[in-house]
Amino acid sequence: MPDQPPPPREPKQPALPRRHFLKTAGFLAVGTAAVGSTGCDVKEPVVVDAQAPTRRLGFDRTVLDALAATVLPAQLGEAGQRAAVDRFVSWIDGYEPVAEEMHGYGYADVRYLPADPAPAWRAQLEALDLLCRRSQRSGFAEATPIQRTTVLDAVLRTEPAERLPAPLAARHVAVALLAHWASSPDAWDLAFGAAVAPLTCRPLADAVRRPEPLAVDAGRGDRA
Amino acid sequence: MIIQTGETTVHDTDICIVGSGITAAMMAAHLAEHTTRPILVVEAGTDTTPLAQRARARERFLAYGESPWKSDHLDDQNAFGTTWGFSPSMHVGGLAMHWGGVSPRYSPEDFRVRSLYGLGDDWPFTYDDLDPFYQEAEERMGVAGEQGPPALDPRGKPYPLPPLPLNHNLRQLQQWAAAADIAAWSTPSAKNSVAHAGRAPCQRCDTCYPVCPSGAKYSPDFTWETLRRAGRVTLLTETLVRRLEADATTGRITHATGNRTDASGAPVQIRARTFVLAAGFVWSPHLLLLSRSSAYPDGLANRSGLVGKYLAGHRNVNAYLALPLDLVPGINVQHSLVSKQFMRPGRQTRYLRHDLRLWESSVGREPRLRGDDGRLLLGEAMLRDWQQRAEGATARVRGYYDVLPDRDSALTLDASHRNRFGDPMPTLAFRDAPESAALRGWQEEQLRDLFRRMARAGNGTVLRMENSANDLGQEHPTGGCRMGTDPTRSVVDAQGRAHDHENLWVAGAPTQPTASCCNGTLTFAAVGLRTAAAIAAG
Repeated sequence: MPDQPPPPREPKQPALPRRHFLKTAGFLAVGTAAVGSTGCDVKEPVVVDAQAPTRRLGFDRTVLDALAATVLPAQLGEAGQRAAVDRFVSWIDGYEPVAEEMHGYGYADVRYLPADPAPAWRAQLEALDLLCRRSQRSGFAEATPIQRTTVLDAVLRTEPAERLPAPLAARHVAVALLAHWASSPDAWDLAFGAAVAPLTCRPLADAVRRPEPLAVDAGRGDRA
Repeated sequence: MIIQTGETTVHDTDICIVGSGITAAMMAAHLAEHTTRPILVVEAGTDTTPLAQRARARERFLAYGESPWKSDHLDDQNAFGTTWGFSPSMHVGGLAMHWGGVSPRYSPEDFRVRSLYGLGDDWPFTYDDLDPFYQEAEERMGVAGEQGPPALDPRGKPYPLPPLPLNHNLRQLQQWAAAADIAAWSTPSAKNSVAHAGRAPCQRCDTCYPVCPSGAKYSPDFTWETLRRAGRVTLLTETLVRRLEADATTGRITHATGNRTDASGAPVQIRARTFVLAAGFVWSPHLLLLSRSSAYPDGLANRSGLVGKYLAGHRNVNAYLALPLDLVPGINVQHSLVSKQFMRPGRQTRYLRHDLRLWESSVGREPRLRGDDGRLLLGEAMLRDWQQRAEGATARVRGYYDVLPDRDSALTLDASHRNRFGDPMPTLAFRDAPESAALRGWQEEQLRDLFRRMARAGNGTVLRMENSANDLGQEHPTGGCRMGTDPTRSVVDAQGRAHDHENLWVAGAPTQPTASCCNGTLTFAAVGLRTAAAIAAG
């Protein structure tokens, strides 16, 4: 039984109350888990639901990569940002709309995950490009960092939350991409400057030591 | 033995256990070792997600919030009302497939609240009586624990497994607690601190709740697997027991009736010499109330009128404190420190007993989208802001406090919700006993005061405090078939045998008169094992 179940969700709150539990418990890392040790190794093949309707997969990578260059930290480097986008696309491509949510405490009814957010996010990418052409006289991918930021400032003006939402609850693709990266174990390590590898299966005995500091250039390259 | 009579399948057995959760698993294991009697376990749901699939299930939970236990419920079989603390989980292993593994014992005071403090009710046995069954439950599950100060944490024998180690964060929190004059130690947990029972040691994957991918955390499916492989139990899944039938003259339960929960919905009958309800605090009293007849118009075992009554639980006050420590979130989030210091007060002018748990936390140290000035934080600006916020340390503290139940804290049948077979579903309405209700505000303020004192002792500050969700129900709920020696004031006796039916037993959570102020699962199992021992003894 969880020790601190979250309060029941208000009707209009975003989904993912179970992950909210992990947040309130003290830590959150979402994203496709890059797990590396035996306990977490996935050995089973993916079972594809033949009855599920076909979803359109993928994104316009030109605009999405440009967006990543704007919203993700520069110290990830181009390769790191590209890897973060790869993982984001892979993550949303693997999403199963209206799958059963984790349930158990705080409410008795069975709840389901939201509809596929990807179509709206694709449309938002197109809109970003269109808005950039209109207001900055340049496509989003070709725009300068300042121009892109100006466009994003305008688009995200009504984003109310100070905290990053869970990626699946993000209303805009820019926030979803940032939130997805920020929920990864690597992002947390970068923020805390230590090799914690949260939510990754690790030897129990190592827990007694303070996690090693991150190498100075740990943010660069493929750590996304 | 299985007999087909028309469209009805008849199962003939010796011991029939209704439910396959943790209490049922513990009891079946005990009975299998101490008797040769055939055991049939009846579960309304299906088999659970196999261990081999849990790593992927965990991955999808982390990625999307998907349930690792898909279809672990029946869409038309649920409880309504104040259902905080209740789960509709209905599959092999029950709710304990996704428990957190936290396994504290109650304290000796829990069994003598009336005698010691003059309110509530005593249990019909003492902590010392339950000690060997606590030990048995701990050994069957494989509980890793640290012996606390003996005066606070009495036990007859050592824990079966060494404690989960205090990590870099918890060691500092332990020192801080000591500075506040609080003794705190490694929380006992049904997680392998070393390889045990053919299962791997914990790898602090930190998703104990809701799914352990390695099998280090105990869950009832492991016991069922062993018992089924040994041919010691038959597990009948997808079968909903809907009524028990009693002989109007002798009171003995003659058989149970129900239906398959698969598409067929075919009728099922189960004949047995002994019936055990191990279906938790909702479904056990619910089945008794459903089993009305002309001879038993209020349902079975209900001469006292107390079936479904005295639902009990506890509430909490929770706080996040900023402390000048070096805490690094994510080392092992789901492990914690525990203190039983406040569960064992002497005589009091006003009643308050509570546990205390301490965790690392990332609250206040998360990334954010806007800075204090309201400006959007993107790219390097966002990371720099996050890195600044990451400095420092947050601890989470929480105390569950004991809430004494009112007689009318009750489960009733609700004709407005019915399952596919037409049975009314249960509605829950928790209610504090008047003496408990009168103390609530003061009790919660005492906890807030404690947290303020703890913050001061560590030169820290309180970031925020919150009470548990108020009137939605209570945590670690129990009751509905309370035990006692007086048949006019209880449903079952001290062993769990129904006062009114000599071959009917109710096990675990529903029999408890009170719910203490800590996680209850270990006690549910220990109480169930005490019942199993009585059944085995004949």
